[in-house]
Amino acid sequence: MNVLSTFKMAWRSIKGKRGRSVLTVLSIFIGIAAVMTIVSVMEGMKEYTRQQYAAMGSNKIDVSIYSWSYDENGNPTNQKDYFPILEEYCKSLGDMVVGVTPNARANGTVVYGTVNSANMESKYDEETYELISSPPQMYYGSSQYSKVNEHEIARGRDISYLDIEKYNQVAVLGSKAAEIFFGNVDPLGKNLQINGNNFQVIGIYKQKSTEGTKGYQQNQMDNVIILPYSARRLLGGEQMTAFQIKASSSENIKEVISRVGPYMKNFVPEGSGMVDVYSQSSWQEYENQYLTTIGLVLGGIAAISLIVGGIGIMNIMLVSVTERTKEIGIRRAIGARRSSIVAQFLIEAGMLCGMGGLVGIVVGTIGSLILGKLMYQLTIWPSIPVALGTLLFSIALGLLFGSYPASKASKLQPVEALRAE
Amino acid sequence: MLIETRNIFKIYDEGLESEVRALDDVSLTIDRGEFVAIIGQSGSGKSTLMNMLGCLDIPTRGDYILHGTNVKDLSDNELSRIRNKEIGFIFQQYNLIASLTVQENVELPLIYQGIDAEKRSRMAMEALEKMSIAEKAKSYPKQLSGGQQQRVAIARAISAKPSIIMADEPTGALDSKTGHDILGFLRQFHEEGTTVILITHDNGIAASADRRVRISDGKIVEDTGPVIKYPKAAEKKAAEAEANSHEEAAKAAQEAMKAAAKMEEELL
Repeated sequence: MNVLSTFKMAWRSIKGKRGRSVLTVLSIFIGIAAVMTIVSVMEGMKEYTRQQYAAMGSNKIDVSIYSWSYDENGNPTNQKDYFPILEEYCKSLGDMVVGVTPNARANGTVVYGTVNSANMESKYDEETYELISSPPQMYYGSSQYSKVNEHEIARGRDISYLDIEKYNQVAVLGSKAAEIFFGNVDPLGKNLQINGNNFQVIGIYKQKSTEGTKGYQQNQMDNVIILPYSARRLLGGEQMTAFQIKASSSENIKEVISRVGPYMKNFVPEGSGMVDVYSQSSWQEYENQYLTTIGLVLGGIAAISLIVGGIGIMNIMLVSVTERTKEIGIRRAIGARRSSIVAQFLIEAGMLCGMGGLVGIVVGTIGSLILGKLMYQLTIWPSIPVALGTLLFSIALGLLFGSYPASKASKLQPVEALRAE
Repeated sequence: MLIETRNIFKIYDEGLESEVRALDDVSLTIDRGEFVAIIGQSGSGKSTLMNMLGCLDIPTRGDYILHGTNVKDLSDNELSRIRNKEIGFIFQQYNLIASLTVQENVELPLIYQGIDAEKRSRMAMEALEKMSIAEKAKSYPKQLSGGQQQRVAIARAISAKPSIIMADEPTGALDSKTGHDILGFLRQFHEEGTTVILITHDNGIAASADRRVRISDGKIVEDTGPVIKYPKAAEKKAAEAEANSHEEAAKAAQEAMKAAAKMEEELL
């Protein structure tokens, strides 16, 4: 039995019943398109959260020390300078830790010439109320601040350990902050007035945000001024209780968390407060799991529509067998084997579903692109495995639901079949 | 002996009140090269007999020996092969497949033989030319007149060069002139050595056969006895068929050898 001619004959009978074939294809393609779109949008959502977390910095671990016992002056009883303890301990963890820095905001007005941060207003997006621009954010950092927060020095130099030791009044600027204060002037070596104190600009970070980064994140990334944390003695502010550690890999995060937490606990007196160590990437993991679950549920619902479509195919094929009983009889009379009849109907069902699959992939791709743009401003191309998988699945569906009618057709006695009208 | 039935019965609803004996103890032998008409009124069992002889149906009881093989012992695939290669069917209602062109219809038995497209097309066109309808090769059956459709159906029946042709009321749906032409073709195949079995209710049509077997209520009531008018052609046809089957056997053996060699290679 010639395979090519079987395909040709199957195509003939599909074409012969054009209206019906179109409806059958329709019943399959809706399910396929739905599955594809859902899977793609879920992938897009994951990608979106990945980008969000990536923007925050990967492999970062937050260490926070909370207090709930206060002395008569209202100061927390467990306040001490935790950073040197943490820094020392992180050194002992060797390769597992890339860097550690305080995560503390410095407050103050920043002035250069006529530019004064006190005169700057925060701007919000009119529709989303998202922060677009604000006065520069000022942070206290260790010499490893840029490592932890993934900044690179574009010009000048980074904060050094000596700057911290010697209480040097220096500052490193993000690209946006540099632009705000200095415009076209070269900021290196210039002095910023912070609460009336001179801080010399020693370095500028490379721009971190990319074209796709939105206002808020761009502000977070590049509109920053980093001061050595020892400058706190001069500028004041509360004790530093929040820190960030960057682990060398995502595998090391858990290990670092499990060591840092118990160690730091030793320095917080029982009952005075607590140590919280957690990683944003573990949130990402949760969120991904959550998205996968949603995806499975939605995909399951779409899969039901596929099964309904498949039953439709089976129905059509059964009708087709009944209608073509005579044809089956003729074919059997002139020498078709049972297997040839099975092949004929299976190929027909497989082709119908395969066509449905192809149309579904096209529609699903368009759906993914449109939904991706509308929901996340992302261009979501369905992945090739997903597309191929759905196509194969739809053909398998055709074969599965075509097999019963096909076997029914092949079991007809030639003489009975010939007698049909 | 080419065809031999031994006391065959075809009984529907056996043992019930509605029992029908379509064939009732029929014993018949037909030799290579005969032109036999099986005559009977409608409901006499003549079509049932043809279905038996054509391996489309199996007897309730009794044996049908075709080419020395008891049909009972053959698998469904072997029966398909016999219908495909040994027997050409011609039906009253032509039984062409409407969704296929004339040429594709004629190629169908060859497709089931697994013959390649080029040879298939050549053989089909040959058969169509013999039926003088080659110019309609690309048409669809419903674009043709009844007589033309029957010529296509006959082309399909002879395209695989079978040694037996079974025609069930081939002229029943045609006017007498066209019917006459069709009978002419059957006589021509007969002269070329093909065994022709013609089923009809019409004595006039039956008269063109060399031997007449009358059937009534499932029983043979009259048989004019075997006549072989063209023994040389019949012998030639038989030799051809044998050579053909030898060729096929040789091909099968060759393929088996190849498969064995491949298996051996894989094992090593």
